[in-house]
Amino acid sequence: MRLDPSAKLAFVLLMWTCAFLLDWSVNLVLLLLLILARYLVPAYRPQSSRSRKSFDKFLAYGITIVVLLAGVNALFLQGGSVVFSVGGLDFHQEGLMFGVRTAARLLLLSVSILLFFASTPLPEFIHFLQLKGLPPQLVLVLLLTLHFLDQLPARIHQVFVAQEARGAPVRAGVVSRAQALFSVISPLVLSSIIESIDRGTALEVRGFLHKPVLASVPLPTERSASTLTLVFLALAICVLAFTVLRWLLAL
Amino acid sequence: MAASIVVDRLSLQYSPEASRALAGISLNIPSGTCCAILGPTGAGKTTVLHAIAGVLGKHHPESISDGTITVAGHTYTPLPKTILFPSVALGLQDSYVQISGVRETVYDEVLFTLENLGESLEEGKSRIPPLLKELGIDHLANRRPTTLSGGETQRVALATILVARPEILLLDEPATALDLTAKERLQHILKSLRQRTTAVLTDTHVDLALSVADQIVVLHQGMILFNGTPKEFLGQMDRFTTVLPLKGWSRALQFMLPSSRQMSPSQLGLAERLGLL
Repeated sequence: MRLDPSAKLAFVLLMWTCAFLLDWSVNLVLLLLLILARYLVPAYRPQSSRSRKSFDKFLAYGITIVVLLAGVNALFLQGGSVVFSVGGLDFHQEGLMFGVRTAARLLLLSVSILLFFASTPLPEFIHFLQLKGLPPQLVLVLLLTLHFLDQLPARIHQVFVAQEARGAPVRAGVVSRAQALFSVISPLVLSSIIESIDRGTALEVRGFLHKPVLASVPLPTERSASTLTLVFLALAICVLAFTVLRWLLAL
Repeated sequence: MAASIVVDRLSLQYSPEASRALAGISLNIPSGTCCAILGPTGAGKTTVLHAIAGVLGKHHPESISDGTITVAGHTYTPLPKTILFPSVALGLQDSYVQISGVRETVYDEVLFTLENLGESLEEGKSRIPPLLKELGIDHLANRRPTTLSGGETQRVALATILVARPEILLLDEPATALDLTAKERLQHILKSLRQRTTAVLTDTHVDLALSVADQIVVLHQGMILFNGTPKEFLGQMDRFTTVLPLKGWSRALQFMLPSSRQMSPSQLGLAERLGLL
């Protein structure tokens, strides 16, 4: 089952509105629902094994960041009662809650957009942008950026292998990885720039910047999809209105 | 319909500080013929193609150039400032980047070019299947373009530009990453395009050039060392052993001549074409 990218984008907008305007507990629930959607809602299943792996890896890193963020804030932001102590270090409630709030917000923002890209094939997204009448120059820049991001893990691996072949201890440990960063970044950036220029030229010499496209690949622009878009947009407006109202009543 | 290319005393520097990429080169490529530009890396082969296609004039407006380029009857002094697609099509050295990745099947990837040109879907239906068949990739029409082998990608990349029916086809080192079978297939395709399209290809090796080209140009450090027919080139081969990997070829040709009975049909055809038999 596919879902119109406009409905998915409206959903991302709704999630972002919630992330910025609603309480952390709501954000946490929404985050859990999003993670469930990745497994249960067909339209949100990652389109390839690579995007599935990337999404799962991001979640694993995300959870680590939540724990770190909460821990560091609980340690240094002193206020409220001490929740627990480890080796003479006190972890405070206020800092802990601040860390969880911030992490929940950041994760909701990133997971919602990541789920969109993981479940929307690049061709479908680019075609959607073209059909919506976005300037071809802008679509070209977006396309090159997304290609770059898509190829990034494979390219980093290539550069690591190349550096290892030269005897650089790039995987020996965290410190070695950090030291190797400079030797990795330079070839990574250079090769990416060269490929982006070539890819851009290749598209240009195929007339990409000439005219807007015709609809060759029909997108699933069903009535239900556009209704869904409107529902998500309406919900985002409702969240915004609710927040404004709550602020006015509190005055 | 093929068109001619005339390059007249073209000089080019990418910037005032850079050394000259092209030093007053002149070329005359009649319509419907195939010209191979040979030379070592950094000789200026890609620069010539990009100058003719309009890529150089558009992407390097700061470059300093002199001379004229006449493409399909239009004279540009010194360089075309816009990309001349669809009358001039350029195939890049890395055919993988030629695949846009914005369409999910080979057929749609080829159709994407027509969409960019504002052609109708019906036009695509009438043009694409015969083209894919001609290039021997009709069985790949429903495959994902990013899952193909090097040779297949090369032919799909060729289809994506040939579908626009260019008058001039410029191919930058099209045989670099190809195995022998894929190279032979490319030779066959280039031969079949003769008369319909004026082709200019670059290469660092001579085998493809000798098999398909009517005219061979040897470029070195932005200057033309040789401009003539394949037969004339063979006659002066010794002159270029320092700039082109020819030693193996000279030996192969010497080896081929006395044993023509053992040659494969394609080798025989090549030897006949070059007047070696």
